[in-house]
Amino acid sequence: MLTFNALNKTSAKSRVAVVAAGIVSPLGFGLGETLISLRNAADCVSPVTRFDVSKCRCKTAAQIPDNRLLAKRPNGRKNARLHRASHLMIVALAELCESDSEFKPEITIIGTTSGGMSFGEDYYRALQQHLNLRHSPEWVANYPPQKPVLDAQTAFGISAPCFIIANACASGTNAIGRAFECIRSGKYERVLTGGYDALSELVFVGFDSLQAATPEKCRPFDRDRTGMVLGEGAAVLGLENFESANRRSAKILGEIIGYGISTDNHHLTQPDPSGSGPRRAMEQALQVAACAPEQVDYINAHGTATPFNDAAEGKAISELFDRVPVSSTKSMIGHSLGAAGAIEAVACLLALQSQFLPPNINFRAPDSDLALNVVANESREEKIDIVLSNSFGFGGTNASVLIQKIAA
Amino acid sequence: MKVRIAGMGWVTPLGRSVDEVWNRLLGGDEASAQTISREGRTETYQAFLVPTEVLKDLPAHPRLRRASAISRFAAAAGLDAIAQANSMNFEIEIDRLALVFAVSNGGVVYTKRFYHGIVESGAQSASPLLFPETVFNAPASHLAAILGVNGASYTIVGDGAVGILGIKMASDLLDTGTVDYCLVVAAEEADWLLCDAYHKWRLVKSSPPVELFSNPPGGTILSEGAGAVLLGREGMVKIDSIEPGGNFSHQRNSTEIVNRILFELRNEGACVVASANGTFVDLAESSAIRRQLPHSIVYSPKPAFGESVGASALWQVIIAAQALAKRQLPPMLHAADATGLRFPGAANGTTSSAIVSSCGLNQQAAGLRLSI
Repeated sequence: MLTFNALNKTSAKSRVAVVAAGIVSPLGFGLGETLISLRNAADCVSPVTRFDVSKCRCKTAAQIPDNRLLAKRPNGRKNARLHRASHLMIVALAELCESDSEFKPEITIIGTTSGGMSFGEDYYRALQQHLNLRHSPEWVANYPPQKPVLDAQTAFGISAPCFIIANACASGTNAIGRAFECIRSGKYERVLTGGYDALSELVFVGFDSLQAATPEKCRPFDRDRTGMVLGEGAAVLGLENFESANRRSAKILGEIIGYGISTDNHHLTQPDPSGSGPRRAMEQALQVAACAPEQVDYINAHGTATPFNDAAEGKAISELFDRVPVSSTKSMIGHSLGAAGAIEAVACLLALQSQFLPPNINFRAPDSDLALNVVANESREEKIDIVLSNSFGFGGTNASVLIQKIAA
Repeated sequence: MKVRIAGMGWVTPLGRSVDEVWNRLLGGDEASAQTISREGRTETYQAFLVPTEVLKDLPAHPRLRRASAISRFAAAAGLDAIAQANSMNFEIEIDRLALVFAVSNGGVVYTKRFYHGIVESGAQSASPLLFPETVFNAPASHLAAILGVNGASYTIVGDGAVGILGIKMASDLLDTGTVDYCLVVAAEEADWLLCDAYHKWRLVKSSPPVELFSNPPGGTILSEGAGAVLLGREGMVKIDSIEPGGNFSHQRNSTEIVNRILFELRNEGACVVASANGTFVDLAESSAIRRQLPHSIVYSPKPAFGESVGASALWQVIIAAQALAKRQLPPMLHAADATGLRFPGAANGTTSSAIVSSCGLNQQAAGLRLSI
């Protein structure tokens, strides 16, 4: 049973505003396109074109078109040799900087799982097949996960120290949560946060080898769900102490009010079937926010559509909440790993601003073991004030953030 | 900020346990480099590797059965740090313990093996057993499972400075009041592929010694292992200040950022445990130290046991803490004479604060200051 004796403690903490955001995902470039696609229940999954998947079970993913991504050259910079992940980060950060040019972060906390993995793949393949290694120093130097973030920061004149969180698929939400804690503690006024990941062969084949990826449609929480599809993208959020944001009359998009993190030691890749790990993360987020479960109006679930994840998460949600609307936007855009939590946080902000529930597409039949109120197939207009976003990952890492609407 | 070091663990090519490695450094020992070769390739490299016998007494936990070397190094160092704190009667409740794992290259051996199957035989041959071990946070997950940590566990990735960033994150976590202790572990494993990559990046030389502060730099030798520091509110050594630093877009700009870090951390009489490793880092640090801390004694351990990248900053922190506790520094090995820097000598052992400077090989730099 939840108790709310943390209420008095929270009153002394700094409030955390989201003052700017930027996003690029299969849903589109920027907040505007993303909102339209979420409302229209866009299915962004298509056959993989970036590498050979002929020997994989799964042959689809949600991809961002190269022609649009590579055409973006913020500040006129020549980005041709950057990693795809750097392009993603640059596009997302460009939108944030354009919307709030005064936002200057003291630190940056970004989540990712695979960094510049495809450069590592290029290097190994060239080595193994005795191909031309002329570009190998560039591949090696641009492979580390901090590089895309530093490339993006450099493009926009940001020099904040970078903390790169690699907590597998929870990385993006963990990054936002840590950024929230940093401001809430009063030690920082402004933190740039978010997540990124680009589709890579190694990761794609890895999930395929685990049979976690599906050759069919991605159907989170469906009775007949068979697994996930992968995606890619980047999203960034500017978090700021409320007083600081108000002082400079910054536009406030939403408020982060709670964050929870837990570790489930059941197995490296599988959640405890009891759902105890996700439940602890959600409970902690509620406690930090001094928020009762019935105050939550919508949950953007981790919802990968793997049998194990959805069973554990669904159990935890149904035990903790009473028929709260739930959807997994991964049904539309796949699982973008380290970017997922950040993209889904932006989806939650858009839902709060526009007062609707993003849909869980490809949903056909409810799972009788999961007592969930799934937002099936179409977005729904709804008055919502507080939403919860979940991310869970390999290694048993679980993270939840609570986001609140700001009164107009 | 009131953060202290309550326990330390150390797995290095010079052995395991803080006392053993420390005594070998004091004795001027250098690890023996081993030649690493690869089937089908003519290039061979030398690296400082952890002797296999030092991990023989690791607990027979199921999580370590198939785990990679990096996970085993991390587990050994983390468990040793907890054991040291327990031996000093610090009361550690696992429910109030957070874990921060810092890494740079990660599980390169299993990642290479997994991708090798894809390149050579196609996607259908990819191993579902190997893939989970390729994820950056696999070592942290194993250590959390061994210790029973069920709260906050973070894996952070960066270059050689990532250990300092890990300590900064741990310090911030302790400040939230939700945990009493935070175990910071940093680990790395060496492999032919890594040596080849760093060689092509023009940072690695063919064989020891690692010669410091020469101009032009001659290159470094990679190594492997782990370091762990348990941070809490009690302990002999205090962390006075942490400077998360910033980023440099080109190697030639690294001096400026290291200079700014040392300016923030400077303290009359402090010694400096530097990250100098035979690369451009040496030039950046020697210039910044001469400007900001011209009278400080400077020590770098890299000639003794190489550049462990993600683990290196924590190794430096352990050395700095030992230097304060034992009131002496090991002798500096293989450093050029005409640097204008002061290196440890017989009479230079009475410092009460120590600065750790960490300039990474890939655009990040950070530092911290310890006192006793």
